[in-house]
Amino acid sequence: MKKFLSLFLALALVLSLSSFAAADDLPTITIMFHGSNVTDDSAVLEKVNEYIADKVGAKLEVIWGTWGDFDEKAVNVLTSGDKDVDMVFTCSWSADEYNSYAKNGYFLKLDELIETCGAALKTAIPESLMQAATIEGAEGKGIYAVNGFKDTATQNTWDVNVTLLNELGYTLEDLQTKGFFGWDEIFAKAKEVKGDSFYPFLVEPMVAERMVTNSIIVAGDAGSTNLLSLYLNPEDVSAEGAYGNKLLNKFATEEYKAFVEQMHKYYEAGYIDPALSVAETSNDARTNHQKDASYLIGTQSYAYGYEFSQDVIARGVEVKFVPCTDPYVDTTASQGAMMAINSASEHPEESMKFLALLNSDPVLMTLLNYGVEGIHYTLNDDGLVVFNADARASYSPWTNGMGNVTILPDTVDEGAGFRKAFQEYYAGAKGIPSLGFVFDNKPVENEMAALGNVAAQYALALDCGAVDPETALPEFLSALDAAGMQKYLDEANAQLDAYLAK
Amino acid sequence: MTAISRSGAGKIKAGSFSLNRFSAGTQAFFHVLLALFSLLCIIPFLFVIIISFSSEESIRQIGYSFTPKSWSTAAFTYTFQLGDALWRSYFNSFLITVAGTLCSVSMTVLYAYPLYRRDYRHRNFFNFLSFFTMIFGGGLVPTYVICKNVLGLSDNYAALIVPMLFSPFNVIIMRTFLQTTVPPELIEAATIDGSGEYSTLLRIVLPVVKPGIATIALLVSLAYWNEWFLSLLYLNKNMSIMPLQYLLMRMQRNADFLAKNSSMLGAEAAKAAARLPSQSLKMALVVFIVIPIACAYPFFQRYVIAGLTVGSVKG
Repeated sequence: MKKFLSLFLALALVLSLSSFAAADDLPTITIMFHGSNVTDDSAVLEKVNEYIADKVGAKLEVIWGTWGDFDEKAVNVLTSGDKDVDMVFTCSWSADEYNSYAKNGYFLKLDELIETCGAALKTAIPESLMQAATIEGAEGKGIYAVNGFKDTATQNTWDVNVTLLNELGYTLEDLQTKGFFGWDEIFAKAKEVKGDSFYPFLVEPMVAERMVTNSIIVAGDAGSTNLLSLYLNPEDVSAEGAYGNKLLNKFATEEYKAFVEQMHKYYEAGYIDPALSVAETSNDARTNHQKDASYLIGTQSYAYGYEFSQDVIARGVEVKFVPCTDPYVDTTASQGAMMAINSASEHPEESMKFLALLNSDPVLMTLLNYGVEGIHYTLNDDGLVVFNADARASYSPWTNGMGNVTILPDTVDEGAGFRKAFQEYYAGAKGIPSLGFVFDNKPVENEMAALGNVAAQYALALDCGAVDPETALPEFLSALDAAGMQKYLDEANAQLDAYLAK
Repeated sequence: MTAISRSGAGKIKAGSFSLNRFSAGTQAFFHVLLALFSLLCIIPFLFVIIISFSSEESIRQIGYSFTPKSWSTAAFTYTFQLGDALWRSYFNSFLITVAGTLCSVSMTVLYAYPLYRRDYRHRNFFNFLSFFTMIFGGGLVPTYVICKNVLGLSDNYAALIVPMLFSPFNVIIMRTFLQTTVPPELIEAATIDGSGEYSTLLRIVLPVVKPGIATIALLVSLAYWNEWFLSLLYLNKNMSIMPLQYLLMRMQRNADFLAKNSSMLGAEAAKAAARLPSQSLKMALVVFIVIPIACAYPFFQRYVIAGLTVGSVKG
């Protein structure tokens, strides 16, 4: 009896032990990143805390959110007003919606804080990005997150296996002159040479659709299956497209019809892997074909320097990314990776000082992103970063999710001068005419959910060519109409007109 | 009952017979049926093992297959190279399951016992209290606030154990089990013999309801063993106490997220996807997760079967 009781009490004692923070003079600020692959940050944080003690006056702790976890964790932290987390990643392409969170009052308005504690940001981050982060939030119009300086423009490219293309007796020019609607002959040749189980056309169906029709994503549109299209002018991205500044039902245009009909031809001829038309296997299949270089032409949403990255080099063939248009700045890309301060934070000033330092100081940015020199990387004679693969396996944060990546040193893979070229590439990118517009889908939330379900049922298979548009497209369009497409479209256009009128 | 005895009676012949015996045809039919059913249970697991030993090239080329093009132990080699991280999370899974099951079962029994005792005045109130939470949950965010901010359940083992300690469903099972197997006379007799409350519970009642306790222990330990959501919610900085299941779920969720957002993330998604663990590695982890619980099951089985048949008329 006594033994049992004491065992029980001992267990209760063990369970009730919670962690007590060590007493320290400096306050602790906590930042939550996205997409990290970090299991051991001890060496890095030790250096970081040494470095920022005087400059920021706080100690840093990091929550390394991963791709799959982050959204859920961030929602809990923000909605519950968790004061233990000071800074949170946000963007406008995922569930961690910058615009709606700022409206709900989860983020602090930063304009004054930037003046008082974050002046360095004004020189480090281009004015255009500050503008892109300026939105209508809970405390009025202002900046609710520090916008990272990264690949801030979108550019879709054809990912071409040049080695194979040349082997088949064609050149890149042939591809471009024939165009998307005239690749039958090349694909047929590839099939003939490489055998029947070879699929030359490796598309991400949704991306291919945007590339061929020259339409772009509208920020605030339904999540994974977009419903709205805004047509670009492929010759000059800053000019109005074929339909002007008007949002369209993505699936009801002539361009879309022509695209899906052509895809269906390619699919029927066996040029497209059927695995790509199923949502569950689509991405895996694509990654695998890319790894094996078992494709001829693919699609790739491009970032400057992607051809120098390890996973492209590892394909073992010559790869060229052939752009469809110049890079363009749209709302989604210009709010791609930002850091907001939680409105429940008890240390907003220290947090702002830290964010300003992170975005302007190469030492801190390199330390947090690439790790500690001598452990995670070394510098070669040319001053280029050489990664230590073993140490990096336990410390690989998501570079672009952290902030101003233009102040990072060049790596050996990228070559000297890469970051400078990167910066220039994106500095030259032009904005689309309706840059800054975000569709507020609150008034048509129910319609959006219903439409999203309908689109999830049809869009991928159609875009991939797996179903016959002759029958499936009219069916799809009438299902969309029944689910309230017109109301959704009218609301979106009314908002866009109001935005442009300002 | 009568139907069976009548059909049995029709077949009475000299020599061997049994009243409970089916005809040879029926018996063969049931054997085949049960064999098929067992196969349905075993095949997915065999498939997982086969995939975990398939080479990555084979999976890439022909997908999951019972007869992969080539075999490989790369997934297991890699898993063992994970070393510390793997064994630590394996240990965590065990610790959480054992500690959680012990605490949860004691709590369930101690809550169910008074509800069973008819002489306990407030039993209706406490019955209602636990039953109510079965219908109305607190919701995710309020639960999170209570657990993290009020109870301090964050980045510690307690955060992975305490939120699941009490399940009204288990209490109801336990209470019903007590009602059907322990007659009140037994308690009265014990009291008359001078047994105190604790001694009645521990020495008289508990031995009788062992099958019930085993059933609940099995349910609870399975729940703890498969749990990963609590880790997602409450583990932020102290990842060293992460259980194996969460390690696996994280890989899966990362892959899902990248698949869903690849068109938005573009080159970043492709880079990250190239770094994801292989399919065979995932299956190797599944093997690691399934084996211990599959080994534990036979130990519970005796009691669970006893528990299932308790209360039926025995002849």
